[in-house]
Amino acid sequence: MVMVDMHDKDQELELFFAAARDDAPVPSDDLMARVFADSVENMPSGAGIVPAPLVKDGVVTRFLKAIGGWPALAGLATATMAGVWIGYSAPAGLATVTGGVLASSDTGYDIVDLIPSMDGFLMEGGA
Amino acid sequence: MAFDVQNEVSDETLLVLYGNGDAAASRALTLRLTPRVLGYASRILNDPAEAEDVAQEAMLRLWRIAPEWRQGEAKVSTWLYRVVANLCTDRLRKRRSVDIDSIAEPEDDAPGAEAQLQAASRAKALEEALQTLPERQRQAVVLRHIEGLGNPEIAEVLEISVEAVESLTARGKRMLTAALSGRREELGYGDG
Repeated sequence: MVMVDMHDKDQELELFFAAARDDAPVPSDDLMARVFADSVENMPSGAGIVPAPLVKDGVVTRFLKAIGGWPALAGLATATMAGVWIGYSAPAGLATVTGGVLASSDTGYDIVDLIPSMDGFLMEGGA
Repeated sequence: MAFDVQNEVSDETLLVLYGNGDAAASRALTLRLTPRVLGYASRILNDPAEAEDVAQEAMLRLWRIAPEWRQGEAKVSTWLYRVVANLCTDRLRKRRSVDIDSIAEPEDDAPGAEAQLQAASRAKALEEALQTLPERQRQAVVLRHIEGLGNPEIAEVLEISVEAVESLTARGKRMLTAALSGRREELGYGDG
């Protein structure tokens, strides 16, 4: 009986609460303007920009920055290794190249007597 | 209004956007939170001018905390209700020390109250009845039954245990029922 009575009272009270919720105070335009003005005045400017670190760069970092970072260093390393390889590898290939272009020495430099009778003429003339 | 479309964006997201200098976010937060803050302050203080001051002050504190807001720790609304609760407590304390007589008399005993009540809504009656409650009970009842907060959130706002919240709201409701029972007929809640 008491429980039912309390339930009724709760329901009745809820009607008052519902009325109060519907009757919520509406902020005046002046208050809204003041609140918005405060928000603009206190808005953090540029808070999203992360400031640059104050730590000084080391030698390697400065060198890397000067040449354009790690990708540039990779290119540089490749070029260096190519140079070393070219410098140290056997120049066997060159013989092949020159052999292809020029005739080999034993065939290419045969002495051909284009004027065989000259000696005879000289000798005869000299005799 | 144009910012109604941002209702699906959480208060916290808007606050972070505001912290990054987004003016649209500040406008959305103003429109969304100011009415709630004002509503709560009005019911605790029962003084429109003071409630507006408290609402503006609470929102100002929100703007200032934005850059240091720690995401995921507390709901923005819970934090804001707590600020309002503390600001209201301070105001009520000052009011008591300055003019203790002004709150000693409940409004329902004021001359002409009957005539006023005939035209007044149930909401007005409740508002008056709320003023007869001790401050903490009033805060708990308003947060629970008008602002619609859950008991754990109210416990966070008032910085007390959930059990204490339950006790405050139960006692507050009993007192409200008693305060309003004398007006049932005036307000159209006869025995029938």
